[in-house]
Amino acid sequence: MSESPADFETGRYLYCVALDDEGTSLSTTGLDDEPVRVVREAGLVAVVHDCTSLYDSDSATQIQRWILTHQSVVDDAGEAFGTPLPFQFDTIVRGDDEALRSWLSDEAETLTDHLDALAGRWEYRIEIVWDEAAAREELEEADDELRDLAERREEASEGTQFLLNKQYESRLDQLVSEQRRAEAADLADRLSGEVTDLVDLGERSTVGLDIGGADEDVDVLARFSVLATDDEQEAVGLLLDDVAADPGIEVRFTGPWPPYTFTPELGGGDAPDEV
Amino acid sequence: MNNGTAPTRQKDSLADVVEMLLDKGVVINADIAVTVGETELLGIKLRAAIASFETASQYGLEFPEGTDMERVEAASGRGEIGKPPERGLTVRAGATDSDEPDDETSEVVADDASEDTADEESTAETESANASADDDN
Repeated sequence: MSESPADFETGRYLYCVALDDEGTSLSTTGLDDEPVRVVREAGLVAVVHDCTSLYDSDSATQIQRWILTHQSVVDDAGEAFGTPLPFQFDTIVRGDDEALRSWLSDEAETLTDHLDALAGRWEYRIEIVWDEAAAREELEEADDELRDLAERREEASEGTQFLLNKQYESRLDQLVSEQRRAEAADLADRLSGEVTDLVDLGERSTVGLDIGGADEDVDVLARFSVLATDDEQEAVGLLLDDVAADPGIEVRFTGPWPPYTFTPELGGGDAPDEV
Repeated sequence: MNNGTAPTRQKDSLADVVEMLLDKGVVINADIAVTVGETELLGIKLRAAIASFETASQYGLEFPEGTDMERVEAASGRGEIGKPPERGLTVRAGATDSDEPDDETSEVVADDASEDTADEESTAETESANASADDDN
């Protein structure tokens, strides 16, 4: 696009779209205390506020406040209308209500299909933390190649020792990594059997940051996001109880969240369940 | 073993919220969306700012501790999705050390490339860890 991001006079900041439930209204405030309202079309509601510029800031505190507010609006919408399709932060539709209605109408089929599929389901996030140090120790004792390297290292000259040490560490890292992946894959398998959908989030936050967590140095074995009904969520809870019974394992189970991770990409070809 | 059965939303869920809202959620790839084509630009600025969240969260916003969510869930078996985090927002920037949020942010951004101070290290490590995690895959 050739226009600069700030280059619009009228826009609608879009929080989420949900299936309309006639007679249901929504009263809440959005980013910077903007009044939030719903725009109805084709059996859908878009939850919006009027805006004239993008929301961008160098201030982490500011962005954090916006993000939490955005989330709270989507929560309110979810309470009013059931599971919504939540939009990415800072999604703004150019134009007035008419433009928004016309877009809703164009996308009605896609949006409705996705909302139907998500109905009664919420996103839950699972983080499994393991005792990597203990796993390392066990591997060090169990692996022949490592023991052999350790013995040779004992007797080697300083230069050779350095190289053997490198080899040792690299072999150990590889083993730990293999074990982690095997356990993560096993967990993914077990969880998949209990839920509507599962996405492997990888070991680290995709925003590349550890934020808000109390323990920054924990060793993450795996992170998943699952889409689940209430019943499925209970089954996951039981399964996680079982997983957490291992003293070396800690489980974080958060939710319910709007299904951010299980949303489509709209308007540019179909890429359902884009991750 | 006290984990498991019931999912919760607590203040350490902030990382989840940030990740979900910035990286997930419906993306509109159409002319009608203002953000199209500018996403990269915007993303960089946002992400840079967020790099200091770890610090900012100590002074800024947190999810409510304890929270009504568990109670709400327990009581209702859900259907509602719990208490909106906004009601639990606490802005404490003024109540603690005054030299935090904004300036800090730009420093972190600037220093990110040179990765030489203690605070940056964690960011840099995270990034390189990400890189190596990618390699592994």
